[in-house]
Amino acid sequence: MIWAATAAVSGVLVLLGYFVRLDQIPTDGLVKILFDLRLLLMRWAVVLAAVALFLGLFNLFLVHWSKISEQGNGWPYSAILVASFLATFVLGLVFRPDSDIVLWLFENIQLPVEATLSGLLAVTLTVAGFRIISRRRDLFSVVFLVTALLILLGTGPWLLGSDSAFSQLFSGIRNTLAQVAAAGGARGIILGVALGAIVTGLRILLAIDRPYGE
Amino acid sequence: MSGIDILGLAVLGLFLGLLIFYLGFGARWPAVFRPIRGYEVLGTSIERAVEAGERVHLSLGTGSIIGTNSAPAFAGLVMLKRIGRVTTLSDKPAVVTTGDGAMTILAQDSLRSTYASEGALDRFRSTSGRFLGPTPFSYFATLPTLLSTEDVSVNVLAGSFGAEGALAADAGERGQSFVLAGTDDVQSQALLYASASHPLIGEEIYAGGAYLNVGEAHRASLRVQDAVRIVVIGAILLGTLLRVIGVSW
Repeated sequence: MIWAATAAVSGVLVLLGYFVRLDQIPTDGLVKILFDLRLLLMRWAVVLAAVALFLGLFNLFLVHWSKISEQGNGWPYSAILVASFLATFVLGLVFRPDSDIVLWLFENIQLPVEATLSGLLAVTLTVAGFRIISRRRDLFSVVFLVTALLILLGTGPWLLGSDSAFSQLFSGIRNTLAQVAAAGGARGIILGVALGAIVTGLRILLAIDRPYGE
Repeated sequence: MSGIDILGLAVLGLFLGLLIFYLGFGARWPAVFRPIRGYEVLGTSIERAVEAGERVHLSLGTGSIIGTNSAPAFAGLVMLKRIGRVTTLSDKPAVVTTGDGAMTILAQDSLRSTYASEGALDRFRSTSGRFLGPTPFSYFATLPTLLSTEDVSVNVLAGSFGAEGALAADAGERGQSFVLAGTDDVQSQALLYASASHPLIGEEIYAGGAYLNVGEAHRASLRVQDAVRIVVIGAILLGTLLRVIGVSW
């Protein structure tokens, strides 16, 4: 109950702080106190999130260490992860995170790997596009695929040149789809998502949902 | 009071008032929600996984708890309560993964309280809540190994995702598992629509609590969303009509 009350009061204070108009912050009074409290609690949250990141890294290490100890499925991957983790951690501690050697590791290992994974997305989506029809044979899937195809045709370069009739036609279709149909649909979705996010937040503020435990 | 956004407070008051109203009187007029295929099949898929000795995986995404994209992860934590209850006695308990340290702690606490309420606290393992990586792609890089080596047959993605969400959903599909995926970002929803067998579109991710019978408050909050949506649609139509007849302000 104490946790719920603490979370609810902190949440309400931060939320009320957001209703203070930034262009009219008074120099004293209740509104000023509310605004300052919001800033203070947010600063604490940032510090706690940093500590939580450290705990998360410890959790990551622990999970993979136990996998290696138990020789569970895929333990060699865990061994590589733990070795890389320790090496990067020690190098960061010894040479500092902005040193040449740590930056070299970042630029030559992490960045290329992340770029590769990002590149995988195009292949994954192309395959998923083909699979969608076999998985969900309904009107919406067909509309989705046809729209994606039209957008591709309207965006990509044409062999006949960008001023050909085909290019102009598909470019026009693409613009109509993207700026009218897609933009309108996206706004509707964003409204729905916003409404859902607000009531989810309210449930936590009212301690109906207690993700921090009972 | 000067310096306070009165209109914003009024909107908040409207949400609060409706929530309290539906909590108090909602049972007198029971609502029927439209079917969402993913939620309908989720319960059966989890039970099948428990019986087959397979694992359920819930991903809370890569969003930070202090960011603006934490709401879908909280919606995922609501689903975790239901998933946790069913999988408590399984040989392979559910595993929850996140890309944020604080969210990992919340996932562990939620699982712990679910185990405690089911009287099975001795079976709880803190490693059921896992931090996979601090960046979106480092999170995804470790996910396929987890899915393939831990016999995951139900893969629920409910949190904030970017492009890595589509890769995560595809990894689940390639492992022939049941994939239910939803997020708050519109572009990522389009990617999930293509890559997941059961995508959640728009606000459907926030409806999990109501559809999975987590509690009456979740049904009430879904009705609040619908009521405010009608108000918003009415305001948009009225604004359009006024603009058409030449009234502007």
